[in-house]
Amino acid sequence: MTRINRDRRAALMLALMSLALGACARHERQVLLPGGDDRRGRELIDRYGCGTCHVVPGTGSARGQVGPPLDGIAHRSYIGGTLPNTPDNMVLFIRQPQKVRPGSAMPDLGIPEHEARDVAAYLYTLK
Amino acid sequence: MRRTARLALGIMTAGLIAAGGAGIFVYSGAYDISATDQHTPPVYWAMQFMMRRAVAVRADESETPAGLAQAEVVRRGFALYHRNCVQCHGGPGFSPEPAALGMMPVPAYLVPVGREWTAAQIHWVVKNGIKMTAMPAWKHRMSEDDMWEVAAFVKHGLQYLSQAQYREAAANLPAPAARARPSGVEGGVGNAAAGRRAIDQYACATCHVIPGITGATRQVGPPLRGMASRSYIAGVLANTPRNMVRWLMSPQQVSPGSAMPDLGLREQDALDIAAYLATLHGD
Repeated sequence: MTRINRDRRAALMLALMSLALGACARHERQVLLPGGDDRRGRELIDRYGCGTCHVVPGTGSARGQVGPPLDGIAHRSYIGGTLPNTPDNMVLFIRQPQKVRPGSAMPDLGIPEHEARDVAAYLYTLK
Repeated sequence: MRRTARLALGIMTAGLIAAGGAGIFVYSGAYDISATDQHTPPVYWAMQFMMRRAVAVRADESETPAGLAQAEVVRRGFALYHRNCVQCHGGPGFSPEPAALGMMPVPAYLVPVGREWTAAQIHWVVKNGIKMTAMPAWKHRMSEDDMWEVAAFVKHGLQYLSQAQYREAAANLPAPAARARPSGVEGGVGNAAAGRRAIDQYACATCHVIPGITGATRQVGPPLRGMASRSYIAGVLANTPRNMVRWLMSPQQVSPGSAMPDLGLREQDALDIAAYLATLHGD
């Protein structure tokens, strides 16, 4: 094998490696939540006082350790310890945790569906 | 002086090139991690030799109980072997189960082990398992006596049994006694350092982020960082040491339908793990 050939091969490998790196960055899991506005969701999280019980990155002063921290919640497998983490289940749990987990320390806060969607949309930005 | 400096520079450069090369090798994915790809002979022998040395150095021969070769001890060891070991290691006339046949390294047939290893070494492997093989540690699942009985069978029984004798003994095994389930929490003292080790023995790291535990990065359940200052366990129990032990031992009783399964924790392990979790303060 000639030297040039070898150099070319190395260059090709480097190019492939950078491509692979780029692909990794692009393949981040996207959870789409039709009809949810994550910026409104962040405001609502402050308004409903989620931070009194949960750590919620990016919101006012959400540092509570009453319930589990919500950083990385987009990647969490289960919600409330039992529901598979799908957007619909997230909205359901935010609206009616007592229905999903009777006796849970998480209270029903009377969050209407459209607001729950916004909150969920924000939570899915937490990776 | 200049020569020393040049030598040092040369060594540093060589080190950097080696590290870079290793990095490229790792990143390129060239190493075949499949269980169907055989190790090269040098890698195999190096690992095998290292494993034998590691066991020989750690097994304490002076701890070997007297009377391991007694028929009664060997017979009890056989019962444990046939219930817990034969699936992977096989026996005379007994093939390992399909899952074990696909393992790399394939679990050893233990007659040669019984002839070559000491009982203390066999006991050490049964108790502690072997990293990067499928050999599990049994110390959280068997009593010390049980583990010595298994070693007694491998050392003093297995190699003397014909296929027909093993088969007959297996056919005459009494049904296993039902495992005693933990009843209530008696109370006791947990040790955080022991808990940190026990956490790996109950697969906690496969589902939870746990500071201080290598590889505990998964978000299946809630992260346990700051668990010491968390108010509730599983959303329902007040976070007291006693409740933590109760939850760890019987999650399905505390919160039926939870994704957290009953893992069969022994009370002491639950106490130890609870003690470790109590050291995890907020970020």
